[in-house]
Amino acid sequence: MRNGNILFVVIVAGILFSSVDTHALDGYDIVQRTFHQLRGKASVSSLDMTIHRPAWQRTVSMKAWTRGEKESLIRITAPARDEGNATLKRGREMWIYNPKVNRIIKLPPSMMSQAWMGSDFSNNDLAKTDSVLHDYEHTLEEVTEQDGHKVFTVASVPKPEAPVVWGMIKLRIRDDDVLLAEEFYDEDMELVKAMTCSDIGQVDGQLFPFSWKMAKAGAVDEYTLIEYQEISFKETLPSSIFSKALLRK
Amino acid sequence: MSALMRGMEVGMVRNGIDTLTGNIQIHHPLYRQDPVLEYDIADMEKVREALLQVLPPRAAWSERLRVSTVVSNARHSGGVILVAVEPEAEKIVSFIGRAVKEGRYLAPADKGILVGEALLKKFETSLGKRLILTASRADGEIVSRSFPIIGVYDAEMESVEKQFAFVSLSAGQKFLGESISEVAVSLPGRDISGLQEKEIATRLRQELPDVEVATWPELLPMLAGYLEISDGFLYVYFLVVFVAMGFGIVNTTLMAVYERIREFGLLAALGMKPWQIIVSVLTESALVLLIGIGIGSLIGVASVLPLANGGINLTELAAGTEMASMPRIIYPMLVYKDVVIANLLIIVLGLLVSFYPAWKAARFRPVEALAHV
Amino acid sequence: MRSEIIMAWRNMWRNPRRSGLTMAAIAFACLLLVFMLSFQFGGYETMINASVKVNSGHLQVQAKGYQDNHEMRLVVDDPRQVAGLLSQINGINSFSFRAESFSLASSGRRTYGVAVIGIEPEKEKAMSTISDVVRQGVYLAGKDRGFALIGSLLAKNLKIGVGDEVTLLGQGRDGSVAATVSVVKGIFRTGIDELDRNTVQIPLADFQEVYAMDQAVHQVICLADRLSEVKDIAGTLRQSMAESGEEGLVVLDWTQLLPGLVQSIQMDLVSGLIMYLVLVLVVAFSILNTFLMAVFERTREFGLLMALGSTPGRLVRLLLLESMGLTVLGTVFGTLLGVLITLYFQSHGIEFPGAEEMLNQYGLSGRLYPSLSLLSCFAGPLLVLLVTFVSALYPALKVRKLKPVEAMG
Repeated sequence: MRNGNILFVVIVAGILFSSVDTHALDGYDIVQRTFHQLRGKASVSSLDMTIHRPAWQRTVSMKAWTRGEKESLIRITAPARDEGNATLKRGREMWIYNPKVNRIIKLPPSMMSQAWMGSDFSNNDLAKTDSVLHDYEHTLEEVTEQDGHKVFTVASVPKPEAPVVWGMIKLRIRDDDVLLAEEFYDEDMELVKAMTCSDIGQVDGQLFPFSWKMAKAGAVDEYTLIEYQEISFKETLPSSIFSKALLRK
Repeated sequence: MSALMRGMEVGMVRNGIDTLTGNIQIHHPLYRQDPVLEYDIADMEKVREALLQVLPPRAAWSERLRVSTVVSNARHSGGVILVAVEPEAEKIVSFIGRAVKEGRYLAPADKGILVGEALLKKFETSLGKRLILTASRADGEIVSRSFPIIGVYDAEMESVEKQFAFVSLSAGQKFLGESISEVAVSLPGRDISGLQEKEIATRLRQELPDVEVATWPELLPMLAGYLEISDGFLYVYFLVVFVAMGFGIVNTTLMAVYERIREFGLLAALGMKPWQIIVSVLTESALVLLIGIGIGSLIGVASVLPLANGGINLTELAAGTEMASMPRIIYPMLVYKDVVIANLLIIVLGLLVSFYPAWKAARFRPVEALAHV
Repeated sequence: MRSEIIMAWRNMWRNPRRSGLTMAAIAFACLLLVFMLSFQFGGYETMINASVKVNSGHLQVQAKGYQDNHEMRLVVDDPRQVAGLLSQINGINSFSFRAESFSLASSGRRTYGVAVIGIEPEKEKAMSTISDVVRQGVYLAGKDRGFALIGSLLAKNLKIGVGDEVTLLGQGRDGSVAATVSVVKGIFRTGIDELDRNTVQIPLADFQEVYAMDQAVHQVICLADRLSEVKDIAGTLRQSMAESGEEGLVVLDWTQLLPGLVQSIQMDLVSGLIMYLVLVLVVAFSILNTFLMAVFERTREFGLLMALGSTPGRLVRLLLLESMGLTVLGTVFGTLLGVLITLYFQSHGIEFPGAEEMLNQYGLSGRLYPSLSLLSCFAGPLLVLLVTFVSALYPALKVRKLKPVEAMG
């Protein structure tokens, strides 16, 4: 009986492995590759963020610098009223700079789960981008076909004691390591919000989704759309960019 | 009635003391003004020594790490005060050991969190799920930690349930660093005069010049103030009821006297002095009063006792009690002093008002009185 | 019947001392009830007025849905039109505009999430207790710009004092970044921790500019002359708003704005009622006793009357008439006196030496004023009337059992 079971497992595993060929199908590897491609080692980009509500919509343009998983700087370039406002993130900490009052404010922990600039992204979504990678166990759940690509669905469940609020994150990733969707579930496995990526294009020899849309589950006609105007990936960026001194620039 | 009021008062005080205040608290001198981790008690050993030395038997204390944190789950986020406690010691000092409604109480070195029912509802979560707590350490670094909900507690006040979450001291210190921000001392007895606290606090202050020692009336000045007013109000009310009763007594005694006009006339005719008549009437009413008081007090005590155990439930008016920071269930409480004062007042007043009929009786002229039909 | 009334009247005065004392007891109870009830209601009124003055006002006009989540975009677009309607309604003492936003307040060293409220200082001064509880510095003046009032706990937490700068950072109505630096002009302590911990008040003009509000506000708050008129005013206002086509706005009164207050009053009322019941019972007992003894004393007399052909029913009527006479006289007298005393204190107030300090903390004066109303005036006496009537029934009915021969013996 015992032997039979093991045999069964081996057979099933064999079928799975033989049916999907290219990469090793470890959930973690897929996610890791995907997020690495998404972020690169360092990047400079300009993007528009549109916050859409049933009776209201607003678009902000900004420029963003990132380096590795932990450092980023985002500066608003339009509309004129908000120009110069900047957010610096280093590790778990975030600072906000406002040119009008010429002050840098460090975000208190209580604000981290608040919406970032009124969007459907929370400050935590920005500050904890690396959390998906490290705080979760990834399991490949399903492989489907779409537009000639294989699409992996990875279920990421938080590691025990990992300080994350989600009960599960579901990632849909194309076989060329492009993120298609990220769904956030609560502990009852009910969908809370979902992000979908589209407009996949080629940049600096790699693929990148130029359009990201975050929407709360159940909210009709409410979403936040990020559209990249341009992005370029670099080997690295000088540390001075991610300093409080440059936040004021 | 007075038992009810007293019950309310004692309930409020016990509630205040129980809700983490304790009879006495020890902090870093600046902690109460600015409750952050930096202001912890530097020399805990010294504090422990002093407590062992000063505290009376059956007193207990609990060491806590207490800091405001942000708690969040997938859908909600809000501020909460995290209290990391030594589970066994805390059980004696505050309500939390008795308040677990669902799940279990903290074990030493427990990794879970104990939250109030109202918080659970607000966060739309349940036993077994996780809460993420985020706070700044003393050095300013922001840290997060995940705690599974192992127990749900039920407090007298909803605001308490929303405000406080409990973890074991070991888990709290792993999360935020090895420090103690507060020591709460619980003294035996249900006395609410605050005298015992004062005395012990004075001695603790001598022993521990580097920390702040505060008693509950200092920690909860509003409550102390309210008690004073409430006391005054209670006595005024007593007075009013007694005056109303006084009217009844005068009337009854007066009529009793008139009914017996002949008897008094006869006594006077037989040579009884007026003062003797007065004394005899007064003695009579004193006896009546005593019997009445006896029966009344018995009924009063009897009616309070079952209520004192069961309590009077005001849960339906929870939002109201909350505003007045009153407990949801009032346990009427007999205070020896109240019973004695009430009874003494009745006797004194009763005798005082009986004096008028007695004096009347003494003034009857024998002849007229005897002629009275 | 007429003869019975005359007889009852005469009987009443046959023993003036006893009747007098009984009436006095009844009168005393009525007096107390009238006064205490008025005082209690007055206390509630003080409490309600104090609470509404701290923040909510008696009435508010808001955008529909604003009360639930205070969303920045739900505004009263043209507050001046609402103001126009308000000024046509009688009984409104004052009104004022407010705007509110959840923002960060930072002192450089520390940052907290707070409610930033834009106010009209000149008008608020008359309406809100905040101006009375400024403990350090001074209240905002009418033309002030760039100044702020902050709660005492917030000041402590931010570690700033009067004259220091506080940076406010939030989001404007249009989603833009709202930021300003204000100089702390005053620090207030209401005694309500929540307010003291997370409130910053700035001039409305500053708020509208910083938070991109244009002329819009979030709340129009009104104080009525009298609490009792609030419901009527709310009704009138709703009507006139509907007529002038103000859609999307709602009128909320204090019971909707402060539901907890309503409950706490209900609870206090219950405990108050228990006390009054005890008082009435005590009075009833003493009356019962008096009547009972009066009947026993006159056993012979009743025996005689019965022997002369009075039916027991007639005797019962007679006795009831007697007791009713006493009660009614006592009640009327007591109520009158009670009303007079209440009226006196209503205009002069009652001082509470012990309470003064506590009340002052909330920006109340140490005086409480009873408030006479139809309810407080008649509820107590009617209760007394009822209870005494019931307690008079017992001795009166006892008469029916009298046997003439025994009674005369």
